[in-house]
Amino acid sequence: MSQQQTKNCITLKGSAQIICEYLKYAINSVLFQRGLYPPETFKAEQQYGITLLISEDQQIKNFLTNLLTQSEEWILNKKVSKLSLIILNVANKEILECWDFNVQYEDGDAALSKEKNEKVGSKDLKKIQQEIRDVMLQVAATISYLPFLDCRCSFDVLVHAKTDCDIPEKWAEAEPIAITNAQNVQLKTFSTSLHKMETVVSYKLAD
Amino acid sequence: MAKEGDMSLFNDVLEPFRRVINTDLPKDKLSASAKLNFSDSNQSIKEGSTTLFSSIKRKSGLESPTPEKRIRTESGSNSNGPPPSPWEAKRLKIDLIAAKAQITKLEARVNHQHTIRKEMQILFEEEKASLIEQHKHDERALSDMEDRLKLIRRRELEIKEEYNTAIKEHKEAKLKWEKDRSDLQKQIAELKDKLLESDVSSKDQLSEMKRDMDELLQALEGAQQEVQILKKEVSKQTSRAEQCSTLRSQLEKQTFELQQITNKLKELEYEKDSYKDWQQQVKTAQKRLTNMAELEKEVGRLRATERSLRDSVSNKLLLEEQVHILTTKVEALQPVQQELHDAKVKIASLESTLEEWKNVARTHGIENARSLSSALDSALSSQLTAVAGCSQAQSQSAQLTEEIATVKFERDKATTKLNDLQTVRKNQESLIHRLQKRLLLVTRERDSYRQQLDCYEKELTVSISGAGEAAGGAALLAARVEQLEKALQSYRDLLALHDHEPNTKALELARAEASKYREEAEAAKREVAKLRAQRDQLQMHFEKLAAPTKILHLADNPAAAAQKQMQLELESAQEEIKKLKAALREGGSSAGDDALRAQLENSRIKLQRMKEEFTSSAQEYRDVCYMLLGYKIDRTGHKNYRISNMYAESSDEYLTFTLSDDGIEMVHTDYSTTLGDLVELHLHQNRSIPVFLSALTMELFTRITMQQTQC
Repeated sequence: MSQQQTKNCITLKGSAQIICEYLKYAINSVLFQRGLYPPETFKAEQQYGITLLISEDQQIKNFLTNLLTQSEEWILNKKVSKLSLIILNVANKEILECWDFNVQYEDGDAALSKEKNEKVGSKDLKKIQQEIRDVMLQVAATISYLPFLDCRCSFDVLVHAKTDCDIPEKWAEAEPIAITNAQNVQLKTFSTSLHKMETVVSYKLAD
Repeated sequence: MAKEGDMSLFNDVLEPFRRVINTDLPKDKLSASAKLNFSDSNQSIKEGSTTLFSSIKRKSGLESPTPEKRIRTESGSNSNGPPPSPWEAKRLKIDLIAAKAQITKLEARVNHQHTIRKEMQILFEEEKASLIEQHKHDERALSDMEDRLKLIRRRELEIKEEYNTAIKEHKEAKLKWEKDRSDLQKQIAELKDKLLESDVSSKDQLSEMKRDMDELLQALEGAQQEVQILKKEVSKQTSRAEQCSTLRSQLEKQTFELQQITNKLKELEYEKDSYKDWQQQVKTAQKRLTNMAELEKEVGRLRATERSLRDSVSNKLLLEEQVHILTTKVEALQPVQQELHDAKVKIASLESTLEEWKNVARTHGIENARSLSSALDSALSSQLTAVAGCSQAQSQSAQLTEEIATVKFERDKATTKLNDLQTVRKNQESLIHRLQKRLLLVTRERDSYRQQLDCYEKELTVSISGAGEAAGGAALLAARVEQLEKALQSYRDLLALHDHEPNTKALELARAEASKYREEAEAAKREVAKLRAQRDQLQMHFEKLAAPTKILHLADNPAAAAQKQMQLELESAQEEIKKLKAALREGGSSAGDDALRAQLENSRIKLQRMKEEFTSSAQEYRDVCYMLLGYKIDRTGHKNYRISNMYAESSDEYLTFTLSDDGIEMVHTDYSTTLGDLVELHLHQNRSIPVFLSALTMELFTRITMQQTQC
């Protein structure tokens, strides 16, 4: 009985790690699916029971590690409400696509938390991974309806943090973004029982 | 009374006994006859019963002191016997009771014995059955055993026979072995003799060997002595060798000294030779000294000549300078001369032109230059006015073109309208067509009605002619006809109305509606765009209000990097453009261009040379192939090769081959059909093209040589 409990126990830190791992794979997946970087710079990796592609570009890797380590800390402290992966036209800085990853904070398993004297969740890791896999498959499927990016594009990740959050070194405040004539598509959500991740893609609808 | 009662009781007690005895006896007899084994137990039972009986008798005897007494008493006085005493009665009762108990005991025992017997009987019967079975089994076994015995007996007989034969053989073998033994003993004896002999001989040999050994030992001792002597000698020799080496070193030293001395000697000789040379030189110097005076004279002469030569040289230099100045002057004058020439030519030409001008002026009636200038002024002014007119005209033309453009635009509009109208007209035409058709139908109807009317009228006339009573009916009909015609007229009017007015009206209405709708749509579109923008703004605002967040991002993000790179690229491109533009302004042919051209020229020449080299080497290769292998190979097309032999009689004799994926194949030609044998032998059987070709060469060669020899 006690073994069962320890098996299904997810700490806040572990949950934040799961979220950040999901963000890493999701961002890489979007970069690959939307063709922002050449496909030969991506390497196939087995995760969540499906094959996902991870960029081998050193710059992207560095950027993501910097971003995700800081984000994990913020998620732990409940400072972040949303992360937005924006895809913009390099020539005129127009925002073409925005992938919003909304983070919501949940209470987890109250009884188990009391027992452990620490906030924990009791969701089965396999089930979480199953949910993440469903979202990933949806992300891969978005290519069928998202408009074709025919210009030179780049990406950036905006973190919507609380106002009382300090700005660390290497970070800067950014302008809020808006997509003209935007179309929103809500993808599936998943939850670790401590964090709920909602993925929304909004794109500029071609006239 | 008591006695009688006792007696009856006694009888009662005895009764079962008797019954038992009566019933048991025949049963026992039966069982005895059936089973002999149980006779003993039955007998014992019988004995038991008899003893019982006797005891009872005894008891009865006790009742009366003796049977004889009793008999006596009975015989004495049957009715008046002494009455038994109460003690006796008591005792009798006790005995009786004991007897009864014994009887019951015995009865139980008998019953028990009976049951045992029955059980035993059952057991014995079972055993009997089993024994009978065993007996049968034993009988069977016995018969088997008998059979086996017979077999064994037969075998025994056979074995006995074999034994006899074996014994015989054994005896024979024994005889043989005895003979062999005797032979072997004889051999042993012989061998022993031989052994003795050999022992003797070996002893002799041994003694000989010993002698040899002794001799050898003696020789060895001698040799050792010799060795010692030789060692001594060796030591002596070594000492000598040492002496020799010392001597040699001395000798070497001496030879070295000798060489030194000889070197010194050579040096001395060389010095001597040099001294001799010096002596000769001294002699010659003395001779020269004697010639000195003559030489001095000569020197004076030569100095004079030198002075004269120097003077002449200075003169020459002066002259050269003068010549140089003159040449420069000449060079300076030459262009002047040329100019002079040119000027002369020009003057001539100018004079001629002036003449021409003058002539022209004369023709125009102008004699003076002033009049000419005035005429020119007037001409210029006229030109100016013309130019002004021209500009005006151009502006006008521009205006006109603009007007034309506007007109064209209008025309396009008009054409579009026209097209619309044409489509409308077409519709109308189709309508008209339909209406005409209808009209036709109506007219036909009307005609048919008229015909009918005519018919009626005729009928009426007939009827009137037939019977004058139908006049009223005819009037009715006429009225009807009139009514119908009126209706027709009204229809026609309706048709006409339909034809024109409503159509045009409807069209105009429709057009107005369409334009209205279009305007509305455009307005709606504008509104939608406005609303969308507003919605977005509001959404943004709402988001801001909903969650007071600030947006952070990594300063070093890929988008910024990409933008920077883009900026850099743009700048570099602009700079390059500037550079190129500057280069263009400076002039097309820069140094780099020339270099490139030169390179191009070089490469062209190289290419040309390479081509030449290639063609020559290819030709050489072909020639060598032809000379060595006797075949000229021509490529007649893609993967097609034609080869002709060196010894071929005519140029028509050639073979063709094609290169296919799995080798090379020969294609049939007129010539190849004449080589059936060779083809069959070398291509179909040997499957080797080289052999075929060599064979062909051989054949052609022999044929030619044969012809030559025949010639």
